[in-house]
Amino acid sequence: MRTGVIQESYGELISLFRNPTQTYWTWALVIMSLAAPVVLTGHVTSLINGMMIAAIGVIGLNLLTGTTGLISFGQAGFLAVGGYTAAILSADYSMPLWLCVPAGGLMAAAFGLLVGIPSLRLKGLYLAITTLAFTIIITHLILSAESITHGSSGISTAKPAIFGMELATDKSFYYLVLAVLVLAILGSANIKRSRVGRAFLAIREQDIAARAMGVPVARYKLYAFVVSSFYAGIAGALMAYQIRFVNVDSFSLVISIEAVSMIIVGGLGSTAGAVIGVVFVLGLAEILNYVFSSMGGAMGSISALELKGFIYGLTIVLFLRFEPDGLMGIYREYKNRWVNWPFRY
Amino acid sequence: MDYFILLTVSGISIGVIYGLIGMGYALIFKATSVVNFAQGEVMMLISYMAFSIASSWSLPFWSLLGVCVVLSGVVGLLIERIFIRPMLGQDVFSTVMVTIGMAVMIRAVVVLIWGADPMVLPTDIGDSGVEFGMVFLYTAQIYAIGFLAVCVFGMWAFLRFSRMGVAMRATAARETTALLMGINVTRVYALAWAIAAVIAGVSGVLLGTIYGLGPDMWTQGLRAFPAVILGGLDSVFGAAISGILIGVLENLSEGYIGHGLKEISGFLVILVVLMIRPYGLFGTPEIERV
Repeated sequence: MRTGVIQESYGELISLFRNPTQTYWTWALVIMSLAAPVVLTGHVTSLINGMMIAAIGVIGLNLLTGTTGLISFGQAGFLAVGGYTAAILSADYSMPLWLCVPAGGLMAAAFGLLVGIPSLRLKGLYLAITTLAFTIIITHLILSAESITHGSSGISTAKPAIFGMELATDKSFYYLVLAVLVLAILGSANIKRSRVGRAFLAIREQDIAARAMGVPVARYKLYAFVVSSFYAGIAGALMAYQIRFVNVDSFSLVISIEAVSMIIVGGLGSTAGAVIGVVFVLGLAEILNYVFSSMGGAMGSISALELKGFIYGLTIVLFLRFEPDGLMGIYREYKNRWVNWPFRY
Repeated sequence: MDYFILLTVSGISIGVIYGLIGMGYALIFKATSVVNFAQGEVMMLISYMAFSIASSWSLPFWSLLGVCVVLSGVVGLLIERIFIRPMLGQDVFSTVMVTIGMAVMIRAVVVLIWGADPMVLPTDIGDSGVEFGMVFLYTAQIYAIGFLAVCVFGMWAFLRFSRMGVAMRATAARETTALLMGINVTRVYALAWAIAAVIAGVSGVLLGTIYGLGPDMWTQGLRAFPAVILGGLDSVFGAAISGILIGVLENLSEGYIGHGLKEISGFLVILVVLMIRPYGLFGTPEIERV
């Protein structure tokens, strides 16, 4: 029987990989993702691009809601800020992509600081509703500041190109998004295993106790907001480049709620969970799309859309009811059962 | 001045609806410390049910309202039994997410059954109204104001004098102690959900009579959030008062400052108010011990 992994020093406790097996699998995954576009069709690649972009934003939200315990429905607002910043810079000022995407992230981070300040005094559901207010206000501001944002007509972004190389197809865009996603995952993992991440966890468990132990709660809460909105801003900017068009409709409150449901389905607080949650929720939507379209005219387009909504709602409810730890919880349970077989854990 | 009065009165008439929805939020939060994100959706569901009843039986308005009160009470109890009770003991955030999932489901069901086209709720008070000077109010708007008054007074009397109301306050104050004192806490929860659903149902029927039915009716629930936050999440009366405040404020800002402010002025106000009073105007500050 395997005895499990025993960590003998602090260094091992906070290392990026737990054990050699994990390292090998991670490298295998990286190689597989590098090779993926060669085998996949264009449609699937573009779907995966969408998933990876969503994953970047959701990893950010996971740092805020899952790790620091600050519930936020503001992710759509930050996504909008990032997306619009990138689109305006690329369309109106013809800036290159490698400037636009970070600029989107930084702009969203600045807004994150702004939203983070009220969060210092608010807790739980009061905070959730305040961030919800932010999403509504930002959409409205974008609609009314027509001279900058072109109002309700939206903006078409330039074709994505990096260092003179045009990323015209989904497959070439894939590598850009993959690179950013890897950076995002590394960033999130590194934050979590550092002093900052431990402060985040302390704040999640009990913020008064954290303060008593010498964690500067105000600074770290703001930090969580800024990092999380930076991630969302980057995701928004990439989204603008992927769709080549931004419009407030793509950043409605529903997106915020979807993002929260993704981290719940995946498993709160875990980076891998965030990615799995995105794949599950978006994958489910895609499968339902496929099923309904193959049924053809048997069902009107409205009822197909509504049925999708119903199944989506039901999924959230069932997960929370039967598997509050999400897909990661299921994975851990099965892993333990497998490792300890034939004994019960 | 006339313009001001006009804006204020129409603000009050929409604010009353915010107040009613807000009371539902606050009541559920007070008893169970969960925000029911599906309050607007429950309202929509009941008003569509009222549509089906009204169009097949052509009941007079008051009997229709009576039927809807019973119906919405049942809906509230069912929601509590099916969705919320299994979540007892889980953390608040999970339960809140369940109400969000529920909201998505109700929205879908309503469109699946009744379709996505806007409809008129056929009642016999439809277009009738009263003119006060130059302000015209529909009968349903007057009823809504009256209903809010009845609700505020009724809730006050219920929480102050009835046995169940006192039990509800005890549960709100400290759940475990209430349980140890022999209060049936689950029944208190169920009652809170039922009352909130009844308030939502009646305001849905009134709202449907005034503005008609549509698949976006649930957004009223979203727009009532500033009211309940301004009043304090656990203050039922605060929600009623600040509902009216927010309604008037929305209209005044739209009328005097700029177009489109109606949608966000309430949210802007709560951002400012929460910075100064994190628990709203009438909410009880939570004292935390570590």
